[in-house]
Amino acid sequence: MATSAIGLFVDPHGALAAAAKLKGAGFAAPAVISPIPLEGAEAALGEKKSIIKRFTFFGAILGGASGFTLAAGTAVLYLHPTGGRPIIPFPPFLIITYEMTILFGILATVIGFLISSRLPAIRDRAYAPEAAVDRFAVAVTCDDDERVAQAAALLREAGAAEVRNVQEQRP
Amino acid sequence: MERAANMNERDLSYADVNRDIVRSLVETGPKYYITLGCAVGLTVVCFLFPWFYQLQLGIAAAGMNHPQVWGTYEAGFIFWIGLSHSGTLLSCVLHITRSSWRKAMYRSAEAMTLFSLVVAVIMVMVHVGRPWFIHWAFPYPNQMELWPNFRSPLLFDVTAIATYLTGSSVFIYMGSIPDFAAVRDRTTGWRHHMYTLLSLGWRGTDTEWHRLGWAYTLLAVLIIPLAVSVHSIVSWDWASSIVPALHQTIFAPYFVVGAIYSGTAGIVTVMFLLRKYMGFERYITEVHFDNLGKLLLALSLIWTYINVLELFTGWYSGDSPEIEALKYKLFGYYAPLYWEMILFCAFAPLLLISKRFRVSFVPMLILSIAINIGMYTERFLIVGTSLSRKYLPDAWGVYVPSLVELSILVGTIALFSTLFLLFVKIFPSVSIYEVKETLAEAAAEVPERDTGAAGGDRWQPAR
Repeated sequence: MATSAIGLFVDPHGALAAAAKLKGAGFAAPAVISPIPLEGAEAALGEKKSIIKRFTFFGAILGGASGFTLAAGTAVLYLHPTGGRPIIPFPPFLIITYEMTILFGILATVIGFLISSRLPAIRDRAYAPEAAVDRFAVAVTCDDDERVAQAAALLREAGAAEVRNVQEQRP
Repeated sequence: MERAANMNERDLSYADVNRDIVRSLVETGPKYYITLGCAVGLTVVCFLFPWFYQLQLGIAAAGMNHPQVWGTYEAGFIFWIGLSHSGTLLSCVLHITRSSWRKAMYRSAEAMTLFSLVVAVIMVMVHVGRPWFIHWAFPYPNQMELWPNFRSPLLFDVTAIATYLTGSSVFIYMGSIPDFAAVRDRTTGWRHHMYTLLSLGWRGTDTEWHRLGWAYTLLAVLIIPLAVSVHSIVSWDWASSIVPALHQTIFAPYFVVGAIYSGTAGIVTVMFLLRKYMGFERYITEVHFDNLGKLLLALSLIWTYINVLELFTGWYSGDSPEIEALKYKLFGYYAPLYWEMILFCAFAPLLLISKRFRVSFVPMLILSIAINIGMYTERFLIVGTSLSRKYLPDAWGVYVPSLVELSILVGTIALFSTLFLLFVKIFPSVSIYEVKETLAEAAAEVPERDTGAAGGDRWQPAR
């Protein structure tokens, strides 16, 4: 069973420093839980790369292609010649292409966001409700109790106002 | 600096923000229920009954007839689409340009977008007369082997509005996820279950914030060109016809500017009501009204310029039907409406030059409502006057809306209010985490001003 140590800090600096320290001590992926996005998080815990923009890019391309295919394809399937005008006219079909590009871009961004941030969460994870108000929490999850105790000691040392042990529940 | 000082004076703590905003969701007084009851009642009496009557009797219940095949329903459609424009669009633009005054007001502005879009779609359903065939507008394989005509601006409308509706709902929802999580922790019972589902298990870890920041910005970048395209496309419903006074190249920017203009005025109205009745005095302040006032002033000037240009190009064309349509607009049957629009939308907003006016709440409310009355009139005049002077005099005619149409016009306002009233009890109508960010910025800025020291190691919220 995985157990987490959560240290609550009043000051975001303290939380970030503690997280960096834990990382330095070999704990995998300590998470800083904060009520607002923190500027120094990447400096303390390493640079983050996100794949969301790729989702957006390829989603948009897919959308553009399907938008044009939809308009042009249906025009070819049901031929409706009007006054010698082209069956596949570009200006109006580009509008459909444009809108579908954006629609698919938006949907792909959402999917990318959900996948890369691992939401919706199916199981309970280490969390402290205070961190949604005005506390900054550092959470580390380990499989054996000794490591948890070590992490808790480190957090206390770093100046945590409170340290908790939380059992993770897996379904 | 001014903003920082302002926030500091109000001395809000993070816990205050959570408490105030959760209170706005869970504590509901009799005033709210009375207002909601009135809104629902009005929606039923003024919107659902007349619509039902029209469905029973046929579209003849509306006053539209040859040559006036577009009436208040279409005017209402443009109006509501227009009103939808400032919310998400403005929120995106201000997000990209990092304007922090956006943070206290954007959530309700985005909700305005969403609900006015819903009402606009309903207006189309009322207008077409047989709403049960509305699915014919969508491309799907069917036994008739028919496909919609993608060369028609009406089909552009369907794609654009469907995309915009999807985009705005996703945008408002994604921005609310951290707030749902904050509310989840402070509520009990069915509310707790609802917010647990809505928050998707958000914790607020550094990774989640990082991903949210990326996704949110990407969405904003996608939605800005989308919003501009939506009202341009709506304008092409008219501009791509060959009706005099409608067949104009200026129509797309004219509609977009008009849309943002009326939408910004709508935001002022909504902000006033939220501030007054939801107890957000500490969050929605003079700063917001001042900035919105400046924006309104700039938009009113652009709008006036385009109006003058519309008259000029009409006159300069030398085309007799065009000039006839113009004369009719200025001095014909609908002239009082035209001059009312000019008074409300071109002259009255000049008052915004004075800062004292911009920071006085009640005058701003009155002006914002006047602007939207003027903007509704503008839309009515676009669909009304042009068709009543179309080429040959034997095709001329005057359109007066029927009682059913007028009632539905009032009913849509009630419908919008109902949706909005429900929204303020489900969504945190002021963004909890972004207000906290503003507080953190203010806290970081104030000592800097006092001591003149550079805040080198001082903590800054992520931008």
